[in-house]
Amino acid sequence: MSTPLIRNERFVQVAAPLLVGVFVLVLWQLTVMAFDVPKYLVPSPVDIGQSLVTDFSSLFNALLMTLKVTFLAFAIAVVVGVAASLLFVQSKWIEISLFPYAVLMQVTPVVAIAPLIIIWVNDTTWALTVCAVIVAIFPIISNTTLGLRSVDPNLLSMFRMYRTSRWQELMRLRIPSALPYFFGGLRISSGLALIGAVVAEFVAGTGGSKAGLAYMILQSGYNLQIPKMFAALILITVTGILLFAAMVWMSDRALRNWHESALKVEH
Amino acid sequence: MTATKVTPLKPAPSPESEAPVAEGKTGARPVLQVNGVNKIYGNGTVALKGADLTVKQGEFISLLGPSGCGKSTLLRIMAGLGEVTTGTVKWWEQDYDVVGSKGRKLAFVFQNATLMPWARVRKNVRLPLDLEHAGNSEEVEKKIDDALDMVGLKGFDESYPRELSGGMQMRASIARAMVTEPNLLLMDEPFGALDEMTRNKLNDDVLKLWQDNGWTIVFVTHSVYEAVYLSSRVVVMAARPGRIVDDIKIEQPFPRSPDFRVSTEFAGYCRQVSQALERASTMGEDKKEAQS
Repeated sequence: MSTPLIRNERFVQVAAPLLVGVFVLVLWQLTVMAFDVPKYLVPSPVDIGQSLVTDFSSLFNALLMTLKVTFLAFAIAVVVGVAASLLFVQSKWIEISLFPYAVLMQVTPVVAIAPLIIIWVNDTTWALTVCAVIVAIFPIISNTTLGLRSVDPNLLSMFRMYRTSRWQELMRLRIPSALPYFFGGLRISSGLALIGAVVAEFVAGTGGSKAGLAYMILQSGYNLQIPKMFAALILITVTGILLFAAMVWMSDRALRNWHESALKVEH
Repeated sequence: MTATKVTPLKPAPSPESEAPVAEGKTGARPVLQVNGVNKIYGNGTVALKGADLTVKQGEFISLLGPSGCGKSTLLRIMAGLGEVTTGTVKWWEQDYDVVGSKGRKLAFVFQNATLMPWARVRKNVRLPLDLEHAGNSEEVEKKIDDALDMVGLKGFDESYPRELSGGMQMRASIARAMVTEPNLLLMDEPFGALDEMTRNKLNDDVLKLWQDNGWTIVFVTHSVYEAVYLSSRVVVMAARPGRIVDDIKIEQPFPRSPDFRVSTEFAGYCRQVSQALERASTMGEDKKEAQS
C-alpha cells in the first residue's frame, strides 16, 4: 500500500513552506489589487515578476557581480579561517595572542571600515571582497578552532600513548573531529559573505560594469523603480537560500554516516 | 601494603583443580614495576601516595577501590599517560627512555569504546598499526582479520561504530588493543557501562583471550564480583589519598567457568575482598591531605 503524500517527510518539508509562500504571495497580490496600492509604494508580486523578466539583463549582470564577490570572499574566508584555526591549535600562546584580533574583526562594523578599505584597495572588486571577508571569516575561525580542540580526550590519550607526531594527530584525529563544527561555520559564513558583499556594495556605491545587486537596489530606489528594487532583493534572498542549502547538502554528504546532525533517526 | 592469602571456605572441588593457577609464574619477569609513586595535582590534591606494585608476566590483576581512590590515575601512569610527581615506573625493568613506546608492548582499553565515529570498524581496529606506520601489507591485514575474528566481529569490519551495540563497540575496542599483539593490556573499567549479561559474556571472552594469548592484564573495576571472577590478584585501593592497601591472591584455577560464579569459593573470596574494601573505605582517611 502506498504511503499518502502527507505522511512523506520529504514531501512535507518542501511542500509546507512552499504552500505558506504561495499563500502570502496570493494574499499580497489580492491586497494590492483590492486597495489599489500604487507600484511605487508596494508593487504586486506580478509587477515584480514582470520586472524580473524585463530587467533580466541588468539584474543578471548585477547578480553575477555580487556572486563573484560573495564566492571570492567566502573562499578566502574558508582558506584563511581554517589556516588561522590550525595555527591557533598549535599553541595556546598563539591563540591567546591572536584570537582577540579575530574578535576585533567580528565586532567592527564593516560599514565603518569599508570607506577606508575602498580608499586603500584600488580595485573595486577586491575592495568589496576584503569587506565581505571581514564579515564572513569569524564563524569559520571560531567554529573550526572549537572543533579542533574538541577531541575525545581518551582518543587523544591513545594517540599520545603511541607518541604520534603533531601531523598525525592533526590529520587523523583533530581534523575529522572538527568537521561538524567546520560545516556549522560554513553555514553561517556563506550567508555572511553575501551580506558582507551587499553591505560593501552599498557603501562603495559602485556603478557601471561593476554594479552589483546592492547598487541596483540603490539606483532603483532613486528612480522609484520599486518593482526592480524588489526583484533585486528577491535575487539576493534566493542566492542566500541557495548558498545555505548548498552548505547543508555538503555537510550532510560529509557527515551522514556518523554524525548525529546528519543521521536520519527512525522513531 | 600486605599480601593476603585467602583460605576458601571449602577446598576447590571442581574437575578443573588440576588447571594452572595464574599468579604470575614464580620467577617470572616483571612486566611493570611501580615504585613509590606519588601523584599530586596542581591544585594540591594527592591522587596517589606511595604506590608500589609489581606486575609479573602472565598475571591478571584487578585494581579495586572506591571512586576517587586513584585506580584510573595509577593505570594511566602505567600506560605512560600521566607524569608522576615522585617515584618510578619501569616497563620490562627499564625506564621509558630505554624501552621506548613500541618496546613497552602495551595496549589500553578505555572506560568507553573510544572509537573514531567517522571511521569504519576496520579502520578503527587498524589505528594503532597506522600510528606505528605498519603499512598495508598482507600481514597487517591478517592481523586485523584475526583480531576481528577473535572478538567475534567478523563481518562487521565495514560497519560504522554507531551501527554496533555497546557490547560490540567494546569488542571493537578490544580488537584494536589486540592488533598490536601487546604483552601488557591495561583496561580501565571497560565494561562498566554494559548490562550484566553482556558484561559477563565479555568477562569470559577477555579471560579466554588472556589465556590464549599469554597476556598480562591490569584491569580497573568497581565490581568485587568482576574482580574476583577475573583475577589472579586483586589489589585493593583506598581514597584520600589514593593508595594501595591490600593485595589478595585469588588462588583458583583457570579457565574459570560460569560455575565458579555460584561456587562457595567465589563467595568466600568475594567476602574477603569486600571486607578489605570496607576496611579501605574507613581506614586513615586524610581529608586534610586531600584538600591541601
